[in-house]
Amino acid sequence: MKARMKRILAGLAALVVAALIWLPCLHFIFTRPVSKFRGEQGLSPEARQLAARHLRLWTEPALRETELNKMRVSNAEWDFMGRSYLVWSLANMALRDPASKPTYLRTMDQIIDETLRLEKQEGMYFFLMSYAKDSRYVMQPAHSLFLDGEIALMLASRRMVEEKPEYKPLLAERVNAMVERFQKSRRMILESYPDQCWMFDHCVALDAMMMADHLDGTDHSALIHQWLAMAKQKLVDPKSGLMISSFTTDGTPLDGPEGSTIWMVTHSLQLLDEDFARDQYQRARKELGAITLGFGYAHEWPKSWPGAPDIDSGPIIPVFDVSAGSSGMAFIGASSFGDDKFLASLAATLDFAGFPSRSGGRLKYCASNQVGDAALLYATTLGPLWKKVKAGTTQ
Amino acid sequence: MKKLLWQKHAIFQRAEFLSAKDMMQRAAAISGLFLLVHLAGFREFTGILNGTIGSLSLGWNLSAFLAVIYIAFYLAFVLLVPVLILAAVILKVGQRFHRKSSS
Repeated sequence: MKARMKRILAGLAALVVAALIWLPCLHFIFTRPVSKFRGEQGLSPEARQLAARHLRLWTEPALRETELNKMRVSNAEWDFMGRSYLVWSLANMALRDPASKPTYLRTMDQIIDETLRLEKQEGMYFFLMSYAKDSRYVMQPAHSLFLDGEIALMLASRRMVEEKPEYKPLLAERVNAMVERFQKSRRMILESYPDQCWMFDHCVALDAMMMADHLDGTDHSALIHQWLAMAKQKLVDPKSGLMISSFTTDGTPLDGPEGSTIWMVTHSLQLLDEDFARDQYQRARKELGAITLGFGYAHEWPKSWPGAPDIDSGPIIPVFDVSAGSSGMAFIGASSFGDDKFLASLAATLDFAGFPSRSGGRLKYCASNQVGDAALLYATTLGPLWKKVKAGTTQ
Repeated sequence: MKKLLWQKHAIFQRAEFLSAKDMMQRAAAISGLFLLVHLAGFREFTGILNGTIGSLSLGWNLSAFLAVIYIAFYLAFVLLVPVLILAAVILKVGQRFHRKSSS
């Protein structure tokens, strides 16, 4: 009996020692040089493989339908956002890899045309979650800034790569309509859902306006500055200093700062106010970003403003408080601000827990979905488009 | 009692709980089961982690069930198997050291 107890204790001690050796080393298996994920020039291997899978989806309608339907069962927005992120990624890819520009432009046009057709044919509710129909939009006629902003940015991104005359009036129409509503709104706040307004959508819409200015010689700088001044004053959480993610039309906060929103917001702000963008990124990194045993991840909420899990946060893994939504979007923030340490650690987590599946030069993450992978693709390619807008060149 | 061919191999013979052999057997069993669920394509269902259905034809419940099985075996394979193997090596080395020092 004594010998048996001694053996079991020795076994347990060996297991503890082994765990203490293995767990801190585990990340070495999954950590790769950040250049595998994103490079300053050209396309990284990760970007090429992710893009190959997405391009295939747009050449094989049956495959695309299956993927999109799987997402639409949970959230119709994901279908739309998957399109947006892919178009924005392809614009950056065309600037990084001019030899493949014709292929990328063809796919961008296909996505934009189909999205516009669906919006026209099915109405704006086709790409919104069902609760959009539950109440009336405060500002009439009803418009969703979520759709208008992202469509405008898709059109502008395509035209930044190469002019397409058919898209010029479509962009102008979309931007003018948004400007008109911004001017009509007492607080410069527009709805994405009935009396529900999102920081993400405002920043994307303003990016589209700025791009339109570069493309068409318009000037919306006064409106952009005015909106930024309002947002800094009214839409910032005083405790964390982070921008809140959703609010009503009179500026009353609905959700506080959220990881699933703020990382993209910091990226969007880079085009509008670089210093403010960096400040927001550093705050988000401090409040929401974490690295444990070499694995990077992000929380959905800062300690000062806890929230409840929802469709945007994704499931929250307890103990470490990891949010799938925030961690995925953190790639965009880390990539935008050249935070290589955080980016490499996030990529290690992705390879560890994202269940990558590679075949025929194509990559997808099984724990993700089309929109998640499109956002990752955007993180691997972003940069050239913003740089081109800032430089003020269109050719 | 006559033993089957596979039962004659040391790795398949009953081992004492938490002995080095027991740990290696458990590591081998987990690895084998993980290989099975991996080859069966259960990885495809892990999209449930972000709220996406693994398969429209199988539905939410079965997709989630297959995802949970895959994730459990994957984590066991990545976290537990190396720990079991390392612990077995540590035990073996410890026993050898103990035998040498007592002889």
